[in-house]
Amino acid sequence: MSATMMRVVIVDDEELARHVIREHLGNEEDVEIAAECANGFEAVRLANELKPDLMFLDVQMPKLDGFEVLELIEPEIAVIFVTAFDQYAMRAFDAAAVDYLLKPFSAERFRSALERARQRLATKQPAPSASELKALARTPDQAAERVVVKDGARVHIIPVGKLDYVEAQDDYIELHSGQKSWLKQQSLASLEAVLDPNRFVRVHRSYLINIERVTKIEPYTKDTKLAILTDGAQIPMSRAGYARLKELMRIE
Amino acid sequence: MHPILTNPRYLLMYLAAWVPLGLMVGSMLSLSAHLPWRETTWITAPLIVLLAFLCLAPLYMCRALPVGGTSVPKLIINHLLAALAILAIVQPFLFLDLKTGSEVFHDFDRRSLPGMPLLTTSTLLLYLLAVGGHYAGLAAESTRRAQVLARDAELRALKAQVNPHFLFNSLNSISALTSIDASRARDMCVKLSEFLRLSLRLGERGSIPFNEEMEVARTYLSVEQVRFGRRLRVLEEIAASCGTCDVPPLLIQPLVENAIKHGIANLVDGGEIAMTGTCDGRTLRFSIQNEFDPDAPVGKRSGIGLRNVRDRLTARFGAAAQLKVDIEENRYRVTISAPCEKGRVSA
Repeated sequence: MSATMMRVVIVDDEELARHVIREHLGNEEDVEIAAECANGFEAVRLANELKPDLMFLDVQMPKLDGFEVLELIEPEIAVIFVTAFDQYAMRAFDAAAVDYLLKPFSAERFRSALERARQRLATKQPAPSASELKALARTPDQAAERVVVKDGARVHIIPVGKLDYVEAQDDYIELHSGQKSWLKQQSLASLEAVLDPNRFVRVHRSYLINIERVTKIEPYTKDTKLAILTDGAQIPMSRAGYARLKELMRIE
Repeated sequence: MHPILTNPRYLLMYLAAWVPLGLMVGSMLSLSAHLPWRETTWITAPLIVLLAFLCLAPLYMCRALPVGGTSVPKLIINHLLAALAILAIVQPFLFLDLKTGSEVFHDFDRRSLPGMPLLTTSTLLLYLLAVGGHYAGLAAESTRRAQVLARDAELRALKAQVNPHFLFNSLNSISALTSIDASRARDMCVKLSEFLRLSLRLGERGSIPFNEEMEVARTYLSVEQVRFGRRLRVLEEIAASCGTCDVPPLLIQPLVENAIKHGIANLVDGGEIAMTGTCDGRTLRFSIQNEFDPDAPVGKRSGIGLRNVRDRLTARFGAAAQLKVDIEENRYRVTISAPCEKGRVSA
C-alpha cells in the first residue's frame, strides 16, 4: 500500500447502494476501501478506529442520519453525501456548497465528486460545519428532537426533553442531563439555533437552559439573578437573559 | 361582509331580481287600494329598496342556526323574531312615506290606508323568502366546499402515492443490479413499472375491490423487497372474504409505505410487517403492524400518508368507518374498520 492511497469507508443501509459505490471505486487505482457499514453508529465507530480519508455517507439511515454522523467524526475526514431525494438535505448541501451525489448517479458524476474530494484532502480544506449543515437542513418549524454526543467510543443520544441545561466552555459545550454530563465540540449558538426557542432560552452568554427545569429564581448580584433548576444547579443569568426567560415564562 | 355586497356582478343580479318582486307588490297594492301608478310607486319603490338590503341580513343568523343542527322551535322562534324586528324597522318608514305622500298627492292618506296590511304581509313573506334563499345558498356553498376538500385529498394522495424517495432509491437498486445480475435488474424494472401503472390507473377510480388494493400494496412491497432484502419481512393473513369489499383506492398502500419508511428503514436489522384482514359480510377489518425504533426522532414516524388515508376513509364512509393507531413499545399498529359494501366499483 503506497502512502498516497486514499482510504475510504462506505456508509449506506442498503447493500445494493453500497455495491454501486464499491463498483465505481474499483476503477480507481489510488483508492482502498477500508470498510463498509449500514448504520450511523457503526459509521462513527469506524471513523474513529480506521481514521479514513474519505467517507461516502448516506443521509437517511437507521440510528443516526448522515448529518449526525458528520457532527461526531473528525473534521479532517472528507465526506461525500449520497441521497436519493431529500428536499431539505439537498437545500442544505446547496446552501453550504457541499458536494453530494443523487442516486442513481453516473460514472462521470461519481468521478467528479471523487476528484473534488481528492483536491480537498490535498489542500487540507476544512470540512463543512456539521452544525451549520444541520441547521440548514432543518424542516421549517421543526426543532431538533435529540442531540447526539460521542461518549468515548460510544455514541450517546440525548432526547431534548431530557436536557437540563448546556454550558459553554471554550470550544466545547457541556450538556447536562440528570446527574450526567457530556462534552461536545460545538458552539452554544449553533446548538441554540436548532433547539425549540420556546423551550430553551439563553439566559447568559455561557448558559442555555430548559425552562421546564426552572424551579426558583433568586437574586444574585445587584443587577442579576440566579435560576435554580430541579437538579439543584444554580445558573447565573444576565439582565437580558433574565428578561428573555421572564418573557417566555410569562412572569411579571 | 355579505358575498353579494362584495361582488358588483352579484349585487347587480340581486337587485335585478327585486324588480319583478317590486312590480308584483306594487300591482297588488294598486289593485287592492285602487291607487294610481304614481302614488303606488311613491310607496312601493323606497320600501322595496330598503327591503332589498334588509333581506341580506339573515345570512348571519342562517350561519349561526344551521338547519340540521338546530331544533325546529328554536329555528322558527328566532327567524320570526327577526322578521318582526324587520317589520319594526319598515313600519315607521311606511308611515313617513304616507305622511309625506299625503302632502304631495291629493287625498292620498285616506285611500292608501287599506294598503297597510298588504304591505306588512308582503314584507314578512319577502323576509322569510330571503331566509330560505340564504339557507339554500349556504347549503350549495358547503357542498362546493366538500367537493373541493375531496379533490384536494385526492390530489394529495396522488402526489404522496409516487414518493420520489421511493422512486429514486428503486432506480438506484436497478442501477446496482445491472452489473450484478441483469435478469434481476429487469425483474425490478418490471415490478416498478407494474406498480406505477397500477397506481396511475387508480387515481381515476372512486372505488376498487379490496383485493385489487392489496395487489397494489403487494407490488409495492415486492419492489421494496429488492431494496431492503432480508431486512424486510412480510406476513400476510388476509381472508378471501375481504376481497370483494369496495374501498377507496390507495387505502392500504400508503400504510405499507409508512410501515417501511418510519419503521423498517430505521431498523438496523429490519423487521416484520404483519397485515391481517377479515370480513364478516358487513364489516371489513384490516390491520397493519410494524416494528420501529423508539429512539428514532418522532418527526420521522408521523406522515401525511396517514392523514390522507383517514380523509379518504371519512370522505367515503363518514362516521361508519374508523381508523385507529396503537403504539406499544416498539410496535406501531394501524387498524381500519369500514362497512363492506359491494358492487359500487367504478371502472
